[in-house]
Amino acid sequence: MGTFLGWSFKRPSNLAKLIVFACASVILMVADAHHNRDARLVRGTLLRADHPLQELAALPLALVHDASRDLRLNGRLRQENARLRARERRLEIKVSRLATLRLEVAHLRALLHGSAIPGYRAGLARILDVGSGPFKQRLTLNEGKNDHVFIGQAVIDAHGIVGQVVSVNRDTSRVMLITDPDSGVPVISERNGLRAIVFGTGSPDGVKIPYLTVTADIRPGDIFVSSGLGGIYPPGYPVARVTKITSNPNLAFLKIRAVPLAHLSYHTHVLLLWPRAHARTQGTHHG
Amino acid sequence: MDNPLTPEQRLIILASFISAMVLAVIPLPDSVQLLRPDWVALVLVYWCMAIPERIGVGTGFVAGLFLDVLYGSLLGEQALAKALLAFLALHFTLRLRMFPRLQQALAVGTLIAISDLMVIMIKSLVHGMPPLWSDTAPMVANIVVWPVVFTILREVRRRAKIS
Repeated sequence: MGTFLGWSFKRPSNLAKLIVFACASVILMVADAHHNRDARLVRGTLLRADHPLQELAALPLALVHDASRDLRLNGRLRQENARLRARERRLEIKVSRLATLRLEVAHLRALLHGSAIPGYRAGLARILDVGSGPFKQRLTLNEGKNDHVFIGQAVIDAHGIVGQVVSVNRDTSRVMLITDPDSGVPVISERNGLRAIVFGTGSPDGVKIPYLTVTADIRPGDIFVSSGLGGIYPPGYPVARVTKITSNPNLAFLKIRAVPLAHLSYHTHVLLLWPRAHARTQGTHHG
Repeated sequence: MDNPLTPEQRLIILASFISAMVLAVIPLPDSVQLLRPDWVALVLVYWCMAIPERIGVGTGFVAGLFLDVLYGSLLGEQALAKALLAFLALHFTLRLRMFPRLQQALAVGTLIAISDLMVIMIKSLVHGMPPLWSDTAPMVANIVVWPVVFTILREVRRRAKIS
């Protein structure tokens, strides 16, 4: 028994309650199925109350999701780190190669710049091997008979005369440097036209100029360029700079030391010179 | 018998319903989804059995309404089912209390299955969704889970001295 606003009433039976609530449910369902505004209002109100519940339900999954994402991210970062490390190493190697390439490019540019020698055409050749000993100053180039290289051909670089071809194989050739003891280059003094011959000494950084008498007008610092006599070397190309002159009264000739102007112990490419008459029919040079 | 509940006790009962609702909507992998028991129904049946003077058709209706909103189903669908379930549970309260645990589980499972049939009927009527065999999976899950729910809630009830 209960009282409501002064009315006393019997506590409603469960069946009565069920009937009431079932009716309410059906009304709600019908209203909701027809998109009734009031039904939507009820749903909205309840939804607001349900929202924290949904958040709570989503929480564990969100946590698991976050954790797994972090783990995956970690793994990915690790992988990426390793990959980038490897890449960096590769790039470092590339960069160091780039430096040498840049040097080479500069050198080649200088070579080509200096290759405009009248009456000759120039071709690049790569140095395959350097054979130097006390009595041999030789280079091996990657051009041979197939490339129309011939014995006695002049070899120069951007700074001066390097030497001449002494033997030719099918695909390679040997060059005798001007520092070889067997080498002699007819030269002329740039300052006063004094003729002389530059001989090699067998040491890579020194040549000598013998057969000049004490009366000869020569000073340290004089530059000797090729005279073109003998027909092997192109005329007017730098050969050597005088460094030291010793005069011995007991000897008829001066003892003159000079340094070759060509950079004999640098770089990897030299120029082969073809006189125009011998110019190659095909104009391709592979260096 | 008709001693009113203290606010703490009300809070505990409310908390049990809220927990059940969270469990009901917590995201699960699809493979487990089918076997999800109807937690709210189980809790509702328990409280109907334990304190039939306090928890009844009205509680079922309200809980069902909240479930409707959570599920996004037609408003009143679960409300009707849960009101019916509460009515059935109240009707069989005395017998349910006397049953041994296994029989109790089967009986509760059957009651919930009846209310589920209500939902399936409404769904097929309103949405034209045909009844599927997979609908029976939660009914089996209910029977399996009931003893656990019963034990936990009885412990809670005794600690909170709800009678």
